Amino acid sequence: MANEKVDVVIVGAGASGSTYAAVLAMAGKKVVVLEQGPDWQLSDLISSDFWGRRVKPAGAPFLLEGKNPVSYGYQGGWGVGGAALHYFANFPRLLPNDFRIKSEHNRAHDWPISYQDVAPYYDKVARDIGVSGDAKAEEIWRPAGDAYPMPPMKTFRNGEIWLKGFESVGIRMVPAAVGMNSTEYKGRPACIYDGWCHVGCPIGALANPLVTYLGDARKAGAEVRPWSNVTRVLTNAQGTKVTGVEYYDQKKERQVQEASVVVLAAWAAQNPRLLLNSSTDKHPKGLANTNGLVGKYMMTHFSSGTLAIFDENVENHMGTTGAQYMSYERYGKTAHKGAFGSSFIVAGTALKTSDLGGFANARLDLFGPELAAFMKRAARGFSRIGAFGEEMPNIENRIELAGDKDEFGMPLGRIIHSYDDDVPKLWEANFAEGLAVAKAAGAKEMWSGRGNIPTIHLMGGTIMGTGAENSVVNSYGQTHEIPNLYMAGPGIFSTSGASNPTYTIFALSLRGAEQLATKWSTVAG
Amino acid sequence: MDQMERRAFMKGAGSGVLAFTVGGLEVLLTPGAARAQGIPFRTLTAAQAATLEALGETLVPGARQAGISHFVDQQISIPAEEALLEARILNVRPPYANFYRAALGAVDRASAALNGGRGFAQLGESEQRSLVDSMRQNKVEGWQGPAGPFVYLLLRSDAVDVVYGTMEGYAGLGIPYMPHIAPTKRW
Repeated sequence: MANEKVDVVIVGAGASGSTYAAVLAMAGKKVVVLEQGPDWQLSDLISSDFWGRRVKPAGAPFLLEGKNPVSYGYQGGWGVGGAALHYFANFPRLLPNDFRIKSEHNRAHDWPISYQDVAPYYDKVARDIGVSGDAKAEEIWRPAGDAYPMPPMKTFRNGEIWLKGFESVGIRMVPAAVGMNSTEYKGRPACIYDGWCHVGCPIGALANPLVTYLGDARKAGAEVRPWSNVTRVLTNAQGTKVTGVEYYDQKKERQVQEASVVVLAAWAAQNPRLLLNSSTDKHPKGLANTNGLVGKYMMTHFSSGTLAIFDENVENHMGTTGAQYMSYERYGKTAHKGAFGSSFIVAGTALKTSDLGGFANARLDLFGPELAAFMKRAARGFSRIGAFGEEMPNIENRIELAGDKDEFGMPLGRIIHSYDDDVPKLWEANFAEGLAVAKAAGAKEMWSGRGNIPTIHLMGGTIMGTGAENSVVNSYGQTHEIPNLYMAGPGIFSTSGASNPTYTIFALSLRGAEQLATKWSTVAG
Repeated sequence: MDQMERRAFMKGAGSGVLAFTVGGLEVLLTPGAARAQGIPFRTLTAAQAATLEALGETLVPGARQAGISHFVDQQISIPAEEALLEARILNVRPPYANFYRAALGAVDRASAALNGGRGFAQLGESEQRSLVDSMRQNKVEGWQGPAGPFVYLLLRSDAVDVVYGTMEGYAGLGIPYMPHIAPTKRW
């Protein structure tokens, strides 16, 4: 079934798709957003780790392979709002050194833009959706910019207790920048610090898409169609332009949505899967993939968690799932001797009992009466800190189409991901420093959160660069091969940095969307 | 969500219970209450449910009474996209019943091989602990099925859920639950 042609169809209603939808709808474009899952409302966001799982995928259309398979289910989103419906809203930004690793260290590749190109969009996003923090304090590590629109969030003992330890090893901690309201902002209430951010904030104090850009987009006339599974991007006979997308609706019926511009904002994994599945005789390897780079350079973060029990009640149920304090003190690519890559440090997070991040998992070796005893101790005195680490892009970490197909006949994807030798070195260096911090902070028990090296966040697959010889898209997300086809989201990151990615996703999406709106006639033809 | 689906979703969430079938009628109960009332299993066999109960209790004391088998049975009997299981987070491929059947079968096979043909539920407490500890460390010789450490992780998570993930579980630890939108009874 064909629908009325629109100006732009956006695939995915998460952070990046919502930003594009808002900018383009407010620019007067007719916008349709297709989202594969339900149309979640704030009232669906029950404060419960059980019910919080509902907003995550149930059986990703990906086979997770390699030595370090990506953690798709925990990271991913399902339904309107995407993963940003349940994200922690930590809003660190990338730093200038992230954009020129090749130039400065002869490693990986440079971004085609600099920090200064993105900085105005960080500031604009902060004003648009609300960010709390202390920009001045951060400026010991980065160029000056605008102040955040809200002061820092409250802190609690579970965060404050670490400060003495950090100071002892020379790590300066500053108030964490977060996409949450420390005060009422634009009609949205201030946070009440009950620690349920990770299952979705139903009061709108946390800047999820429903209460920010997607809400703006809807007000400006954008249409959001839930339960719409996109399977292919369609092209004209010459293969020079995209003409729309094919999708299956809630009744499993095939639909076509024609559009002048297509924006894929379906996350770093699904965007390449869609491009690869959209091959034609003019694009036999998939769209935008003449150079074979679609699906390549998949990246994740890893975290070195230091866990501790203190001999006092740290009220670990209080606060937010995001951090209270953060530091770029080890963000230099060679900050740790013998290791390579940035580390981004956080402290102070509200904890729940169950789910992956719950404190029952802080000692996975314990079960039976020993676990029961630990739970009692942990309920009073447990806290943790973490250092996110940067993975260098590796062309072998990739997405391919698999032989198996989903219910719509679309091949599943294979995400193949293995860490290289740099990663364990950085992981270990951060563990060692974390234990030193815990000891100096006066922890009664302390240990490293070991096990398999975690895979956190997902980036790459359609990376940006200076041209088709090294990348899939330009710095705006526009594909080098097909000018009216855009990629949005963390897939366009050239490198991963070590900062939580969503602030940068918003900033790059805003930059790309504004460019598209400005150059509309050239792009849409 | 459309209105009809939202009502169905909120019915469970709002009342803090799950839907069980009794005499052909749908009733809303906590898993613990379902166990206490002897609600029949829909997907698990009696033997599988007994193994799961014994395993859950070994992993997290209190899981038996909290109704771990009824919880898992109800959850693997509904569409995967409605499920609230940790399996969803840990990338288990639906239908989730397949994983549980394979995991419980592996535990019972290992138990029988090591303990003269006795299934896990028939073992003494120390024998159960010993097997679980070996499974956790992937040290069960001849183990057949999903990897032992992963079975440990997932079933331990289920047991943690029913014992510590509920409002009752928080109260037992003295932790204020502090919901934005309260699951009004136990979830």
